[in-house]
Amino acid sequence: MKAFSQIIVRIPLLLWAMIVILPLVWMFMGAFKTNAEIFSSPWALPQSFNFSNFERAWNDFNIGRAFLNSFFVTVLGSVLTLLLSIPTAYALERIRSKMGEVLINVYLASMMIPAVLGWIPLFFLLMKLNLLDNLWALSLVYAISHVPFTIFILIGFIGNIPKELEEAAMVDGMSPYGILFKIVTPLIKSGIMTVTILNAISYWNEFFMALILLQTESKTTLGVAMNLLKTKAQYESAWGVLFAGLCIAVVPVIIFYTIFQRSIVKGMTEGAIK
Amino acid sequence: MAHTSKQRYLFLAFCLLPTFLLFLVFTVYPMLGGLYYSFFEWSGTSSVKTFIGLDNYVKLWNDSVIKKAIFNDFFFVFVKVIGIMTLSLFFAVALTQLRIKEAPFYRIVFFFPNIMSVVVIGILWQFIYDPSIGLVNSFLTKVGLTEWVRPWLGDMTWVLPSIAIPAIWAGIGLFMLLLMGGISNVPKSLYEAADIDGASEWQQFWRITVPLIWPQIKTSILYIIITSLNGSFVLVQVMTGGGPGSASEVMGSYLYQRAFEDFQFGYGAAIGVLILVVALVTVLISQFILKKEKVEY
Repeated sequence: MKAFSQIIVRIPLLLWAMIVILPLVWMFMGAFKTNAEIFSSPWALPQSFNFSNFERAWNDFNIGRAFLNSFFVTVLGSVLTLLLSIPTAYALERIRSKMGEVLINVYLASMMIPAVLGWIPLFFLLMKLNLLDNLWALSLVYAISHVPFTIFILIGFIGNIPKELEEAAMVDGMSPYGILFKIVTPLIKSGIMTVTILNAISYWNEFFMALILLQTESKTTLGVAMNLLKTKAQYESAWGVLFAGLCIAVVPVIIFYTIFQRSIVKGMTEGAIK
Repeated sequence: MAHTSKQRYLFLAFCLLPTFLLFLVFTVYPMLGGLYYSFFEWSGTSSVKTFIGLDNYVKLWNDSVIKKAIFNDFFFVFVKVIGIMTLSLFFAVALTQLRIKEAPFYRIVFFFPNIMSVVVIGILWQFIYDPSIGLVNSFLTKVGLTEWVRPWLGDMTWVLPSIAIPAIWAGIGLFMLLLMGGISNVPKSLYEAADIDGASEWQQFWRITVPLIWPQIKTSILYIIITSLNGSFVLVQVMTGGGPGSASEVMGSYLYQRAFEDFQFGYGAAIGVLILVVALVTVLISQFILKKEKVEY
C-alpha cells in the first residue's frame, strides 16, 4: 500500500521540481547564448560557454556597481537590525509589565499594516532630512522595517534561556549590559543566525523601497538595476545580457541559502512556529 | 538586588528607547502621515498642499480603475490561497509521511523561488511568457497546440492567470515548510492506531492530519491573504505595469502610478488607506470563517 502510493506521489513531486528548475535552467543557459540562439533554439544548450554576456551586464549595464551597493545595504541593514532588536527583545521578554505588553503589541500590530501606506510620507521625510539617494539611510529604513519581525523571533529564543544563569552573573556583580551582551547574546546565537539569514535575503531582494528612495543610477541596488536592465535589454534586444544579469542577482542567494538552509529550516520549525 | 532601581531604569531605557524612537519616526509617523496626506491635494513638487477633506475618497468611489484593481486583488488572493494551500499541503504530507528517500532534495528545490527577489521572478516569467523568445509559446508550438499560442501578458483575459502562476510558483516552498513543521509534531501513535482500526490514508488525512495542523493552516491562509493584498503589486508592476489597459491593475500598482509617476500624492495616500482597510476587513472576515475549535492531543 505505502509502496504504491510512494510511486504515485513521486509523479507530482517530480513534475513540480521540473516546474521550479526548468525556468532557472533556461535562465542560466540563456546567459551563455547569443541572441540568435535564444530566438532559434530556446530549449537547446548554448553552443559555447563564453562569459561575454556576464561581462557586459557587470560593466556596461551597471550590475557590478549595483551588486556592491546591494551587498553594502544587506550587511549594514542586517547588523543594524540586530543592534536595534536584541536589547529590545531582551527587555520585553524579561520585564513582563503592562507597558511591555503594550509595546510588544504595537510592534506586532505594525507587521499587519501595509508598508505601502507609509511610502509617501517616508519619501518626503527622507527628502526633508536630505537622506534621499543615500545607502546608509536605506539600510536604516530596512533595519527598522524588520525590527518587529526580528523581535518576535528573538523573544522566543530568549525565553528559553534559564534565568538562573543571569541571576548568578548578577550576584557576581556583572552589570545588566554585561549580562545582555556577554551572556544572553551568545546563548541565542542560533536564533540570531536564522533571523539574520532571513533578513539578509529580504534586504538583498528588496525592490520598491529602493526604487522610490534611490535616484541616481550609480546608487541603485540590484533590484532596481535589474529593472532598468530589463527595459534597456528590451530596447536593444540584449536578451543574453539580461539573463546574465538575472543570474548575477540569483546565484549568490542560491549559494547562501544552500549553505545555510539547515539553520533556516531549524529556526523556522523551532522558533517561529511554536 | 545588586542593581539599584535607577540603574535598572537606565538599562531599560537603553534597551527600549533608541529602537522605539526610530520606529516612531520611520514606521509610525509615515503610516499616520499616509492617513493625513489622504485629505489633501498635493503634487509633491510645489509647496501648495490644499486641504480637500474627503474629496480623494469620493474620487476613489467613482474611479472605475480602482474597482477593477480591488477585483484583481481578490482574484489573486483567492487563486493564491487555493493554489498554494492545496499544493503545499499535498507536498508537505508527501514529504513527511511517505518516507521518500529524496525528500530533502525536494524540500531544498521547492524553496528556491522563495529566496529569489520578486523583481527577478517577475522579469524571468515575463520572458517565459514572451511571444517571441518565451518558453510557453515555443513549448505549445512544439507539441502542436499552435492555436493556443498567444501574447500571454498582453491578453486581456489571460494576463491575470498568467501573473498568478509565478505568484503560486514563488509561494509554495515557505508554506510547505510551515506545514511540514506542523505535521512532524503530530504523534505517530495516532496514525498507528488509525491503521489498526483500518482507516484509509485518505481518512487519516482528513480526520487526523488536517484537524491537528489546523493552527498552521489557518496562519498560512491569513499570511497569504495579508502578503497578497500588501505585496502582489510588485509582480504586477514588474511584469505588466498594470496593463494591458488596466486589466492587471491591483491597488498597490495603482498607488505607485498615481503617486510616483503622476505626482498625485494625496490621491495615492488615499489608495494606501483603502489598501489598509480592505486588508483589515478581509483578515477579520477570514479569521471568523476559519475559526474552529482547537483539537487537543
